Amino acid sequence: MNTADRGKDTPSGKQPAAREIARRLISSRRSERKSGDSAARATAAACDTLYRELSRWVGPDGCHALFTRALTETRTDYPALAQIQLRARSEPYIDGVAETIMAHGDPATAGALESMLVRLVELLGRLIGDDMAMRLIERSLTSSERGDRPSDDRREEA
Amino acid sequence: MKGEDRAVIRSLPSGVPGLDTVLGGGLPEYSFNLIAGGPGSGKTTLAHQIMFTNATVERPALYFTVLGEPTIKMLRYQRQFSFFDPDLAGSAIQFINLSAEVMEQDLGEVLQRIVSEIERAKPGIVVVDSFRSIGGQHGTSERGATSELDQFVQRLALHLTTWEITSFLLGEYTEEEQRNPVFTVADGILWLTQATDRNSVVRKLQVVKTRGRAHMPGLHTFRITDAGLQIYPRIPEQTQKRQLPKHERLSTGVPGIDEMIGGGVIAGDAVMLTGPAGSGKSTVATQFIVAGLANGETGVIAVFEEYPEEYLARANTRNPDVGKMIDAGKLEVIYLRPLDLSVDEALQAILEAVGRLGAKRVVIDSLSGFEVALAPTFREDFRESLYRLVGTLTATGVTVFMTAEVSEAFSEARFTTEKVSFITDEIIIQRYVEIEGGLRRVMAVIKMRGSDHSHEFRTYEVTAKGVVVGGPLTEYDGIITGVPTLRTKPAKAKRGK
Repeated sequence: MNTADRGKDTPSGKQPAAREIARRLISSRRSERKSGDSAARATAAACDTLYRELSRWVGPDGCHALFTRALTETRTDYPALAQIQLRARSEPYIDGVAETIMAHGDPATAGALESMLVRLVELLGRLIGDDMAMRLIERSLTSSERGDRPSDDRREEA
Repeated sequence: MKGEDRAVIRSLPSGVPGLDTVLGGGLPEYSFNLIAGGPGSGKTTLAHQIMFTNATVERPALYFTVLGEPTIKMLRYQRQFSFFDPDLAGSAIQFINLSAEVMEQDLGEVLQRIVSEIERAKPGIVVVDSFRSIGGQHGTSERGATSELDQFVQRLALHLTTWEITSFLLGEYTEEEQRNPVFTVADGILWLTQATDRNSVVRKLQVVKTRGRAHMPGLHTFRITDAGLQIYPRIPEQTQKRQLPKHERLSTGVPGIDEMIGGGVIAGDAVMLTGPAGSGKSTVATQFIVAGLANGETGVIAVFEEYPEEYLARANTRNPDVGKMIDAGKLEVIYLRPLDLSVDEALQAILEAVGRLGAKRVVIDSLSGFEVALAPTFREDFRESLYRLVGTLTATGVTVFMTAEVSEAFSEARFTTEKVSFITDEIIIQRYVEIEGGLRRVMAVIKMRGSDHSHEFRTYEVTAKGVVVGGPLTEYDGIITGVPTLRTKPAKAKRGK
């Protein structure tokens, strides 16, 4: 599935809001990174940011559990995610991005990671309510934009 | 030092109905508190209620989770309560997980993380849930570790106080663990318990310690409903004097009874009407309320034996205005038939209704049903609790009319349920007697404090309009046995002997 297909895998009616906030997260990270950075890297950085921010309030293990389920479920539709690994309590959190870009290309990798983010937002919404999930992720966005966090430019270039 | 120079300890509202009363006015601002209790005792919910009541964006609440219930699950369940405002989550209320620090680092690092979050957010409230997890992880029986925990608690308390924070440490502690340093350092200790007695579960709260103010001692029952915790303060000992002078008489709505008791019930008294099943106790109780409504006196009926709809349907057949009076806010029927009821909870419900309506008359129908609705543990001290309940109600100036069912053997007359007769000022009994092969209803006044009253057994009928009292059974002897005999000589001749 390429980027043009994004939004077609709607498992629920709430997906547009989840996708919108996922894209805002990605866009936020992209604007902070160097120009010319790939879409997939910006999306992976957005995942790293969300992992770090959500870990603050649900704990790294709780957050890792959320990401693990989201990744597992998204892999069914996106084989490109086969090489993506989650590294709990590590920076960067999303591993295997470079290999995936090489194997599947940047747009497909970016699309797959974005769908994983959407799954995660939806999952969180089902667990604690969409309103609170959105609010907490919004807050993650805000604190990320404010720079209340260490630098995450530790992702290796492909 | 002059009085006005003293630091004023303000009170924060807890947001928990009844708790501020128990605490002597609220939570002391900037106090360092421990909320202790077993699993499922309501610690987390109590802390959330306090947070959602007090947190603002300017002075947020920080909720540190440690080990134990995962944060997502906690939020999932807590947000089911009506006090949980999701709009505040993430801004006025911030959740921070400390599990990584607690599991992987020493107490110094844990403290540093807490302090750095406090410096960042400048909160007004801090909760650590569960503090026991920190102690359990680092405070072993070895002296060195215990000492480290002592120091941690001391430093944490210092930081929290310095930052003018009202804080709550939550933990699953047992009474044997009160040597834990946190018990010494804490300014306030709230202990939550839930005890099982036969099939009933009763929750209780105790304020073990509050610095700087007098709290209400004893164990206070509480419930956890969709609205969170609701505390029912233990009924205080009766210290007030009754408000009303004992001059005014209130009609019972049954002219014959008014006549028997010397012109009506004395305002502010507690009256008890006892009798066997079907003797018309509830009918008289309703007439008492209706008579008050007709006189502009609002009323409250607390029912225990049947649903309010059934009770009202029956009342309406005799007094069609009852329903209208409810609609007009002149009468309230409160249903108190849950399992595991406490006397304190019943009193709270009645007092609130009295307050809402400015009620002058209260009916409790019946004490027998009330006792059955209580959790077994409260039945044991029903008499004492009822004594304080009646005292508290009459101290507000209301007149209390209670009914009680007594089992009746024809060979003996039971004047009242022997356990509770002492709490009343006036006692009227009803009973069946057998006359000429048929059952007849009779009533008598057996107690009337401070007033003369009839000493006769009078017949009565329960009619479509209510209870109607007839004449005395002057031609019979042995009415009290239930099987009277027709006197062979004329009554007047007997008296004349």
